[in-house]
Amino acid sequence: MGICLFINPIKGAGDDLPDIGSHAPNTAFVDQYDLDKTDLSQFAALILPAHIDQRFLGTRSDQITTFLDQGGTLVFNGHVAWPMLPELKPFVPLERQSLENLMIYRVNHHPVFDGVDCNDLTFKRGVAGFYARGSNPPPDGAIPLHVLGKEQLVCDWLYERPKGGRILMHSGNDLWMYIGSQNSTSRIVPQLCAWAGGE
Amino acid sequence: MGKIAIIDTGTYYHHRVIHEDRFGHFFDQAIYILDLCKTDLSAITTLIVPCRTDPAHLVAHRKLFADFLNDGKTVVAMGSTGPDKWLDDINWRFTPTNFWWWKEGGSLNLEIAEPEHSLFDYVKLADATWHHHGLLTPPAGATSLINANKAGSIFYDDRVTSPGRKIVTTLDPMYHHGNHFMPATSRFLDGFLPWLKSQ
Repeated sequence: MGICLFINPIKGAGDDLPDIGSHAPNTAFVDQYDLDKTDLSQFAALILPAHIDQRFLGTRSDQITTFLDQGGTLVFNGHVAWPMLPELKPFVPLERQSLENLMIYRVNHHPVFDGVDCNDLTFKRGVAGFYARGSNPPPDGAIPLHVLGKEQLVCDWLYERPKGGRILMHSGNDLWMYIGSQNSTSRIVPQLCAWAGGE
Repeated sequence: MGKIAIIDTGTYYHHRVIHEDRFGHFFDQAIYILDLCKTDLSAITTLIVPCRTDPAHLVAHRKLFADFLNDGKTVVAMGSTGPDKWLDDINWRFTPTNFWWWKEGGSLNLEIAEPEHSLFDYVKLADATWHHHGLLTPPAGATSLINANKAGSIFYDDRVTSPGRKIVTTLDPMYHHGNHFMPATSRFLDGFLPWLKSQ
């Protein structure tokens, strides 16, 4: 299984990053500003947290494009504000954050979400909105995985690039916020690392 | 009238606050975090460090902040920025963040400590009420504006420990507004930023 390289996110509150490594065996970590000194060819996947300096990432677009062209997997969490790749477009929020608009629906199955109940994605302690509140619009040819409410805004998608590599998009909080959860969402992180690592 | 600058860490939530319409016009200058050391601050009178700026990237600028204050200017340290690591005379302590008080029938027990302060011509206590990240003990002579649980301050105004002014809070409205989540945080900024502009 290939190694998933997680970019360490910006720290802030100090108590908000769970230990991913103990939930998946194939992980490595690097600080975001050390990306330019990192040889990505040794990794199967580059996994970006929501808390990241997208302006800096934009300066590494050639490096990331080469990584993708060579067959790498990019996993993006968060809202696109500074598009750093041609496949990424700025985040579009829901026009109205009603409960019905915040409901998560699966439109295509994917191994990362195998066995994950959409109700567990929509609600956290009975409150909707933690999973996603809008869409990083998918490029033409992307496969939608999860959509939001009646507007059918695509919040998760998979794009197999014609030039090689693939991008898994999650337009919301870090998927690893579900580490240690007591419901079906606890399946996400091990399945994400297995899939991204090319199992 | 003074000029307000805000640090931009390149995250999507800072992008929404700094570069989008609702609040962007309050800032005379946005300073990208990696450019801070080479930015001329001579025309700036207020420097805002927005919520969730990684303290690791601010520690190296301790002297810059101290010099700025020694020039009689204002530094605003928002929540989850670890101000004790990059400003003098800050006493912050971690407390578990109570995200769920509103579901559990409890209260954050916030109270306005200085009702005559001009901030409250702009901000209602209800709009400062979502959660806070830790507690502050204001230095002697500084003015706490909002206290929590009678245990500490979550917002104070310090005109005594430097020739300048430190406005310090453990509230993180920019992070949550930037996430399109928690409307109180947007309402807080609707009042807080005009107040800051009026100073």
